[in-house]
Amino acid sequence: MKAILIDDEISNLQNLRTLLEKHCPQVTIMATTQNIDDAVNIIEKYSPDLVFLDIQMGEQTGFDVLKLLPARNFEVIFVTAYDQYGIQAVKFAALDYLLKPIDIEELINAVNKAEHKLATQIQNLQLDFLLQQLKKPETNVSKIALQMQSEIRYVALSEIIRCEADNTYTRFFLSSNEKILVSKSLKEYADLLRPNGFLRTHQSHLINPKYVKSWLKEDGGILLLTSGEKIPVSKPNKGTVKQALQQL
Amino acid sequence: MKIKLNVMKKIIFIFLSLIVAVSTVNAQKGINFNSIYAAGGKLLMHVDSGARNVFYAIGFPNQPRTSFNYLPDVNNVSISINFRKNINIQHYRYTILADNKPIALNKPINMTQLKDTHAGGDEEIFSSATLGIFPVKGKIITTLIYSIDKPQDIDKAVFYGKPIPSAKILSFSMLSKSDQIYSTSWVKDPKGSTNFTFTEKDLQLNIVKDKSDIDYLYYTSIKDKKNNKIIFESTTWRYGGIISEDHEQLPFIEIDKNIFKKSGEYEIIIQPSIKWTSCFDCDISPKETEKYVTRHTLFITLAEENYTKKELYSYALMGTFVIGLNFLLILNAIKRRNKKRLTVAEQQKNTAKLQLNSIRAQLNPHFLFNALSGIQNLMNKNEIDNANKYLSKFARLTRNVLDDKELISLSQEKTLLDDYLQMEQLRFGFKYEINCSENLDLDNVEIPSMLLQPFVENAVKHGISKKATDGIIVITFTKQANDLVLTVIDNGNGFDTEKKNNGLGLQLSNSRIALLNSIYKENRFTLAIQPSTSGSKISLTLTDWL
Repeated sequence: MKAILIDDEISNLQNLRTLLEKHCPQVTIMATTQNIDDAVNIIEKYSPDLVFLDIQMGEQTGFDVLKLLPARNFEVIFVTAYDQYGIQAVKFAALDYLLKPIDIEELINAVNKAEHKLATQIQNLQLDFLLQQLKKPETNVSKIALQMQSEIRYVALSEIIRCEADNTYTRFFLSSNEKILVSKSLKEYADLLRPNGFLRTHQSHLINPKYVKSWLKEDGGILLLTSGEKIPVSKPNKGTVKQALQQL
Repeated sequence: MKIKLNVMKKIIFIFLSLIVAVSTVNAQKGINFNSIYAAGGKLLMHVDSGARNVFYAIGFPNQPRTSFNYLPDVNNVSISINFRKNINIQHYRYTILADNKPIALNKPINMTQLKDTHAGGDEEIFSSATLGIFPVKGKIITTLIYSIDKPQDIDKAVFYGKPIPSAKILSFSMLSKSDQIYSTSWVKDPKGSTNFTFTEKDLQLNIVKDKSDIDYLYYTSIKDKKNNKIIFESTTWRYGGIISEDHEQLPFIEIDKNIFKKSGEYEIIIQPSIKWTSCFDCDISPKETEKYVTRHTLFITLAEENYTKKELYSYALMGTFVIGLNFLLILNAIKRRNKKRLTVAEQQKNTAKLQLNSIRAQLNPHFLFNALSGIQNLMNKNEIDNANKYLSKFARLTRNVLDDKELISLSQEKTLLDDYLQMEQLRFGFKYEINCSENLDLDNVEIPSMLLQPFVENAVKHGISKKATDGIIVITFTKQANDLVLTVIDNGNGFDTEKKNNGLGLQLSNSRIALLNSIYKENRFTLAIQPSTSGSKISLTLTDWL
């Protein structure tokens, strides 16, 4: 895999290079740069398969590099020290990211995933999706990218009835009666979707309040969804769920 | 033969000299001869069978020989006279008037008609004669009986078959005295209520009533409306002095003005001396009896209020209490307000400190993780010694951030900035120096911790990070008179002070300065930012700090 590293700090570039050379032999580093303008040129010049992109670069962001490119047919692994804003959108697009200092295992995973994706898809729609998301305010997100085994599904939040934990996976129940299994934990989606009104009713349940039909008093706390499913509400969540449903 | 014993006993009990006779005369004109009422003096009466509300033998103060019988429901009354055996009946004369016109005049008792009777249960035997049966409905029958032995002692009994009229107040008069001269002022034909103002020269208030044949029946009371207590009562009417248009002497009562202790509302009540509940088979509703009552409201104003000693004491006590209470309340309010002010100030200070702490904690994450990344790089490059050096610098910085220390010495701040800049140097490779005035006691002068760090971070981030090895940062600690001046100078691109969101660091610094000023009120912190194209200078002055 041809790779390009973009980071405004020389030490980070050095570090990443060292780690990749040591742990990811399938990656060939074509070039590194600390500068955004350079980055655009280098990408166009080398047509890399994989770009390691720092999010916070001085007063600019790695996203600016993406915006400046006419075509984005490569995989991106974002690298960031600390950036709430960017990370949220990246998560919605189901893109990969690494946190500094870099965890070697996470790095290997991310590279492997990228390799897998490169084999299955031609154009990276996720990056288009990401750039779209970035234009909107965080709570106004209407779609989420769900990484399935061999494809990426873009699902409207209004389509999601509920999510259920399945070990480290999360199963999405859509209004079309379709079920999607995603290899991320329910907690991640709970954090991601909370600003959009989704409610964690239970350790293994996240629901879209739009689909709540009624609150069944029997057996403590059970929500009846319009789909006819009964979802348990655990004791610690009762208060917040009740309050949230009253505000609807 | 049914005798109403209860009635009888009552009669005997009340009028000891009374003789009760039971007539055996057949019922005439519907009269119930089985029940007897005392009618005053030597008289007894029988009334219609079934007649209710027979108010009999009502006597009056100072009128020992007058008896009054009110018979509103009675059509006919049979009157009999009863003599003890030792009485010389032949000396007795009687006069009977119907509506003031004589039916019989000074007639002797018809001795042939006399019968022996005795009151029910009583052993004594009386001689009894009937004076007649009289229609009484709408009429007044009056009997006058005397013995020629004592012609002045005339027993008068009134059998009142008309409705008793309510009294009418014709006028009020006020008697006043000034300079030995008495004068009277009048309020004529008062309606409903009257206002009076009593001054020192006013003596008494007179109430003049309309003249009637039964003035003695009416008694007058005055009620204090504030507590509904009767403050005056009189059964006595005086005559003379006040004469009506048709030359009749009008009844009046005199009321000493001193009965009115207070200004306020009073009520004059004039009503017949009839106890409406005290008769056999009474059936008169309060609404009905109210028709007999005359009421008149007086609004009295006293030029000088009278107070009893008790009242004075209680007023004094109340006054003291009220003043004391107010005093306590005011004291309490002041105390509470002071306390509140103190707590508010304390709270503000606490909030400010908390905010300061949170801002302090916010300064670092981006730097912290990048610094760690830098150390990771050293490790991966096998620069173990350097990795160790920077790791301990990183630890020292982190410790300081985690430490809740409010103040640190200048030398500590210098060390921290040194550590920080060395870590940043690792990332960006610029040059820097930290200069201190020689006349500064670095070890003993203390400043709020992490005061300069955000400015230095800013200098690194926006100033020289792009210039790499050409960048220079100069930090100085200077003493200027009593002020401590801290400056951070860089040779970067400078920045626009107009642009508000010039990085999180600077924004935080501004709010930090504001917070510091709210905590250390006596020392003012001033921040001066001088940006230029060839770099920027930030100077922070701690006024009167040294």
